[in-house]
Amino acid sequence: MKSVWVFLVLALLLGCTQKTEHSGFRFGLASAPITLDPRFATDATSTRMNRLLYQRLVEFDVDMQPIPGIATWQRLTDQHYRFFLNRNALFHNQQTLTMADVKATYESVLDPKIGSPHRASLSMITSMTIMDEKTLDFHLHHKDLMFPGRLLLGILPKEQLLNEHVFNRQPIGSGSFQFKAWPESGKLLLERRRDGALFEFLKVKDPTVRVLKMMRRELDMIQNDLQPELVAYLLEKEKLQVSTIGGTRFSYLGFNIEDPVVGQEKVRKAIAYALDRETIIKYVFGGAATLANAILKPDHWAGASNIPGYIYDPAAARRFLQDAGYSSTNRPSVEYKTSSDPFRIRLATIVQQQLAEVGIDVILKTYDWGTFYGDIKAGRFQMFSLSWVGIKNPDIFRYAFHSASIPPAGANRGRFDDQQADQFIDLADQASTQKEQAEYYARLQYYLWQHLPYIPLWYEDNVFISQPDIKGYTLAQDGNYDGLEQVYRLN
Amino acid sequence: MIRYLLSQLASAVLVMIGVSCLVFFLIHLVPGDPVEVMLGESANPADREALRQSLGLDQPLLTQLFSFFNQLLHFDFGHSLYSKQPIVDMLVERIPATVELALAGLFIAVVIAFPLGTIAALKQGTRWDYGAMGFSLIGVSIPNFWMGPILILLFSIGLGWFPVSGREGWSSLVLPAITLGTAMAAILSRMIRATLLEVLGEDYIRTARAKGLPEGLVIIRHGLRNALLPVVTLIGLQLGTLLGGAVITEMVFSWPGLGQLTIESIHRRDYPVLQACVLFISMAYVLINTLTDIVYGWLDPRIRLGQETAQ
Repeated sequence: MKSVWVFLVLALLLGCTQKTEHSGFRFGLASAPITLDPRFATDATSTRMNRLLYQRLVEFDVDMQPIPGIATWQRLTDQHYRFFLNRNALFHNQQTLTMADVKATYESVLDPKIGSPHRASLSMITSMTIMDEKTLDFHLHHKDLMFPGRLLLGILPKEQLLNEHVFNRQPIGSGSFQFKAWPESGKLLLERRRDGALFEFLKVKDPTVRVLKMMRRELDMIQNDLQPELVAYLLEKEKLQVSTIGGTRFSYLGFNIEDPVVGQEKVRKAIAYALDRETIIKYVFGGAATLANAILKPDHWAGASNIPGYIYDPAAARRFLQDAGYSSTNRPSVEYKTSSDPFRIRLATIVQQQLAEVGIDVILKTYDWGTFYGDIKAGRFQMFSLSWVGIKNPDIFRYAFHSASIPPAGANRGRFDDQQADQFIDLADQASTQKEQAEYYARLQYYLWQHLPYIPLWYEDNVFISQPDIKGYTLAQDGNYDGLEQVYRLN
Repeated sequence: MIRYLLSQLASAVLVMIGVSCLVFFLIHLVPGDPVEVMLGESANPADREALRQSLGLDQPLLTQLFSFFNQLLHFDFGHSLYSKQPIVDMLVERIPATVELALAGLFIAVVIAFPLGTIAALKQGTRWDYGAMGFSLIGVSIPNFWMGPILILLFSIGLGWFPVSGREGWSSLVLPAITLGTAMAAILSRMIRATLLEVLGEDYIRTARAKGLPEGLVIIRHGLRNALLPVVTLIGLQLGTLLGGAVITEMVFSWPGLGQLTIESIHRRDYPVLQACVLFISMAYVLINTLTDIVYGWLDPRIRLGQETAQ
């Protein structure tokens, strides 16, 4: 037993002497960025990190209108756009960013051998011509009014692209932060260029442990991926700062339209009326979400503000079920698939209970993310719940609802095959002005609300929690980490 | 002894080849398409086909198996479908953390279990025995996902002695090692008690005592050494499990080990990474078992002699 005590005492001493002290900032993440190469980044954390490391041609304003990033643009014809670099940007290796770098970046993404997941969304580009160091022309093979809003990729230096530099591990960008090191798996060190402040991003998967690390000041900041009760606990127990902002993460119930039960519009309407979303938001989210009636928020330039939404009405739900041929002795049974995330399971059990009250039996099936997502993509479901994160362009409607986007050609996972919806989407694509496009999208969203291939649930708020001496952070609607550019510590 | 060692190593190599084949075919049976993982849902069929060809996934399965073995011989596991990082680098990053945690957990387990099991056996039926076995019952009953946070609350938040999580020096190793080690110590101490009780009832122990040997020597030289065989097996199995990644403990303590990598690769359907992780875990098991067999031969010469005479 003596050796046990020696070990414990030694460990104790080491533990006491190695308390984590640092001069920079520590930011807790639920998941580590998978890649720091913007050509391959698709997950939220990687995308947010890449925004810090790289600059983009185009950004979005609060109404999700594309605005100049490092470039302004002119639409010369429907299929010809000219972009002008509007500032002198330097890569972190001190090379000047020119349009040759922009061209090389987009050419690389368009190269099928590279296998970039962003290639499909840029496939309308037929060629690019460098007019001068600061001017680049894009030629498209069809009209695309939303084209500028697609140029969101971080720009990589041409020379390193040609040399097949490993950007995913050693990124060279021109953003406000530059890469310092990967001290170990799940830990990333960046330096803010304007003042040299160090930012350590740590993956702490378990939300409870993330909160405990905040309590012990091992982290300075965390954002999102926290259960509401943990936020409430921190507010109550600790002198931490909590700020929230309405988010764009859209949660919904999806249906397999080819299914004999939920394929009936009346059953979907019954489900929509049976859900008491307001109560769920109030008690489960602690108010940190807003009701959604469509994928895009009403203040989006292509959003629809005239959708009334389905208000909780169990009597109406029962009526719709009766119209669909169901009764108390002949209750519909629906298999509901969700991921194994504890919070999502909790929400699913509430939905199950609310639907049971109007006469719908719900069999809840939870799977690990890979299996669940695989089933959804393959159409092996009756009903599921998922979220769309980071939606900026209304082309999501083509991707999720057009009959030409039924998997494997897109994300119309519910196999919604509706000529009228297709027509609205096609007309919006062919519109000659953005205003005209917005009208078609508004009509489409109203149509979708009527026919319910999805039941919109809510937009989840973004939550930022920081130590009391951390100031200057601004939360973004899409949950990006751009606020770190201005964050500082009170002395 | 050399012949014994060589035969053990040869069978280990055969098992590894078998395991590699099994892993290769099992991964190909898992539903899902790596090309879809890489290109997303919106890619057109021509791009999918082009990528499939460039990855060699359009080749017959046996050709793919051959190239898989060829890669293995060059320690090349390919690249992650998501991060594009060489998988060898990913493993090299994680293995030290996993080995560190496994050995620390095992150390804690052994230093707790041996005295506890021995005392329980020597003081059978007394309150020492009940106390030790009570501890082992509690240790084996408490799940790591509860034990970990409780230790954090107590020692990190309450007393402020250790960091909550992460891998920053020895201080951060203590709590995850205790979490792992306690559960293992519980099982181990019960095993030590049971085998020691059996051994202490043997004739040669009585003979040793009759010869006038001091009690301590009787227990250590004749008792414990003979009780070690099943314990070594158990330690080997536990170490193999730990080298495969203590997933829950790694998750609770944000420990960047192999367990987390395996789980992440399952969730993301990152097949090459998963394949490499499973292969590493299997090989760790094979190696540990081979080592256990070798230790067996050293602990009990009858085992290796038995094999030699059989040959």
